[in-house]
Amino acid sequence: MSSPNSTHPTPAEAVRRGIRELLPATPGIFAWGLVTGVAMVKAGLDTGHAIVLSLLAYAGSAQLAALPLIAAVAPVWLVFVTAVVVNLRFVVYSAAVRAGFAHLHWHRRMWLGYVVGDIMFVRFSALRQNEPDYPHPVSYYLGGAVANWIIWQIASILGIVAAAVIPDSWGLELAGTLALVALLAPLCVRFPTFAGVAVASIVAILGHSLPLKLGLLLGMISGMVVALLLERRPEASR
Amino acid sequence: MSELYLWSVILAISFATLLTRSLLHVLGERVQLPALVEASLRFAPACAMAAIVASDLAYSHDVLEFNLANARLLAGLGAALIQLTTRSMAATIGGGMALYWILRWVS
Repeated sequence: MSSPNSTHPTPAEAVRRGIRELLPATPGIFAWGLVTGVAMVKAGLDTGHAIVLSLLAYAGSAQLAALPLIAAVAPVWLVFVTAVVVNLRFVVYSAAVRAGFAHLHWHRRMWLGYVVGDIMFVRFSALRQNEPDYPHPVSYYLGGAVANWIIWQIASILGIVAAAVIPDSWGLELAGTLALVALLAPLCVRFPTFAGVAVASIVAILGHSLPLKLGLLLGMISGMVVALLLERRPEASR
Repeated sequence: MSELYLWSVILAISFATLLTRSLLHVLGERVQLPALVEASLRFAPACAMAAIVASDLAYSHDVLEFNLANARLLAGLGAALIQLTTRSMAATIGGGMALYWILRWVS
């Protein structure tokens, strides 16, 4: 008799497995959440606003990217556009996972999309690739997503509360930028992305004096166009 | 920063989260993205983060400091190396901050 746990997991066991396989990433998620919480307060948000933003937006990189704009009282539409652009990777994630969710009601799909996180997405993708016939992928996804959300929020709120007692002289707001560096560096290893990153950086630095932080937008778009052109070029000449 | 402004940006960022993560789920599989759009989306996060990181590290208080005396810039480059070798976000943030504090202390 084979073990029922390994061959026929129940939905509850799938949830627990989703949680269990996310936990090794706790230090990274925690550090990133903590830094985001601290950075929000260091950028001038008060505790209440920062906690609501953390709970509703649940978007570390978008929150960190928006902070300099909020501090400069940039127009709301620019903050929105920036948050959308920085979040675009989640469009790719949702395109990648949605095939398995087609049978669910639209509002369940919406909430499942809303709670996606970087680390749990990587774990979920690995499960789909290694065990395409796993019986309860949605339960596994939910376990990982909820665990990811809870770890992140605890760390973020801890950072928000602790920020008040951390002296400005520590320069801790740099840690928010370093968290973005940690996400960015592994993406630069592929060639067209690296070229796009280089162009985006140079254009953003040169365009720094443009009003409304438009240098950032210009940098992003130039980088994307260059990366896409470089990627398409060999295909066209084939 | 007025209350109205702050709540507006909080809602704007939250709506950006919902829009990017849930729109394709809600539309369902009927809607497929054009191949070119999907291809360019893959580069968007890296380019967006690069623009933000570069201008944040290269400038201090709106003055360009693109040189080796800029401790923030050096700490950022060091952090990138730590990330590429350790693949640990905690080590990247911790190591980068340590480098930043050491550089400020010795200069």
